[in-house]
Amino acid sequence: MFSRNKKQSLSVSTDMMIKQKRYEALVKAFHADIFRYAMWLIKDKAIAEDVVQETFLRAWKSLDSLKDQAAAKSWLITILRRENARRFERKQFDLVDIDDVVVADPHNFGDVALEHRELRRIMSDLSEEYREPLMMQILMGFTGDEIAEQLNLNKNTVMTRLFRARNQIKEALLGEQPKGEQVNG
Amino acid sequence: MDELSFRRTIYAEPNTTDPDIIQAAKNDPAKQAFWDEVKAMDTQLAQAMNIPVPENFADKLILRQGMDEFTQQRKKRPWYVAMAASVAMVVGVSYMTLLAGNNGLANDVFAHVSHEYMNKEMTMGGQNITQEAINEKMATFNGALSEDIGDVVSANYCYLNTIKSLHMIIRGKTGLVNLFVVTDNKSKELEEDFSNDELIGTSFLLSSAKIIIVGDDREDVSQLQLVAQKAFRF
Repeated sequence: MFSRNKKQSLSVSTDMMIKQKRYEALVKAFHADIFRYAMWLIKDKAIAEDVVQETFLRAWKSLDSLKDQAAAKSWLITILRRENARRFERKQFDLVDIDDVVVADPHNFGDVALEHRELRRIMSDLSEEYREPLMMQILMGFTGDEIAEQLNLNKNTVMTRLFRARNQIKEALLGEQPKGEQVNG
Repeated sequence: MDELSFRRTIYAEPNTTDPDIIQAAKNDPAKQAFWDEVKAMDTQLAQAMNIPVPENFADKLILRQGMDEFTQQRKKRPWYVAMAASVAMVVGVSYMTLLAGNNGLANDVFAHVSHEYMNKEMTMGGQNITQEAINEKMATFNGALSEDIGDVVSANYCYLNTIKSLHMIIRGKTGLVNLFVVTDNKSKELEEDFSNDELIGTSFLLSSAKIIIVGDDREDVSQLQLVAQKAFRF
């Protein structure tokens, strides 16, 4: 009786350690990218940090459901986007705060690389439907198909948005007003 | 391939491996130049997206999950499973069990001063915590340290359940003493003096912030209280 208990508890302990190791590896490999993605999505450091914490907490809780390590990045982004959406469900007033107050402040991103400020401002000004696929492509290294799956769009739409995103950035860099922004499709 | 569809493809996917695109660029230097230009823009974009990650963020994520697991154990699992999971965790659980029913915030404070937790904090804190580094963190609470408060071995943001705090570990005469800074409106329920079998805690208000001091030596705690009352400005 006693020895059976002991065995059981030993295996529980080993499982916990394996899970802990997996989790730590996941955090170390992806926390920076996930944080950056959250920052570009949310544009407020404190909220981005909170959402990333929630994301990893949830990842920890459902770590057993992650079978394929190669899919870890997409899996985390899926959780992050869901957590971010929940934020709006929970607190409607946050929506107003963020959009009104924090928009497009390049200083908000913390560091000083001067030549990047302009680009950051331009990226902040992109509408979310253009910025998000662009981040997925450049920051996360997702393929068109992966982006389509994340955003629940067809691939052609994704490619069009990516094209328009770069087009708008290019035009903004040239100092022109972006033409035809907010076109649907 | 016509100009427009070439440009569209490159703009949508600068790293494309489409053989038609590669061939088209080979045949036309102007197309190749356009492609290079877009790739250069992407490099710039990638660098601009590369914003700095908060200090010790990975450690915080790992620590936070540890704390969550910790409270879960207390709520859901029978004690022997908790013990099996980690002997060290039991130290924390026993703190909490002893205190069950008491003040919630005090429980969270005690949980953060368990030896296991303090060791984790100190290992991620680095060696020398300067007054400047502390003041950077104090800015969140609209406060500052105006004078030395002793040998600070760790200073990190901590969540006392959901309340953000700055947790500092300071070397006292006989051992380590913990100091937490929290905003007052989040910590009204905490009593001025609280304790359990091993730890003594005291808290006091400095304008908008509350300072909580916890340690196992009464003299160390009161000594730090005296120093802190003078050193912090809000």
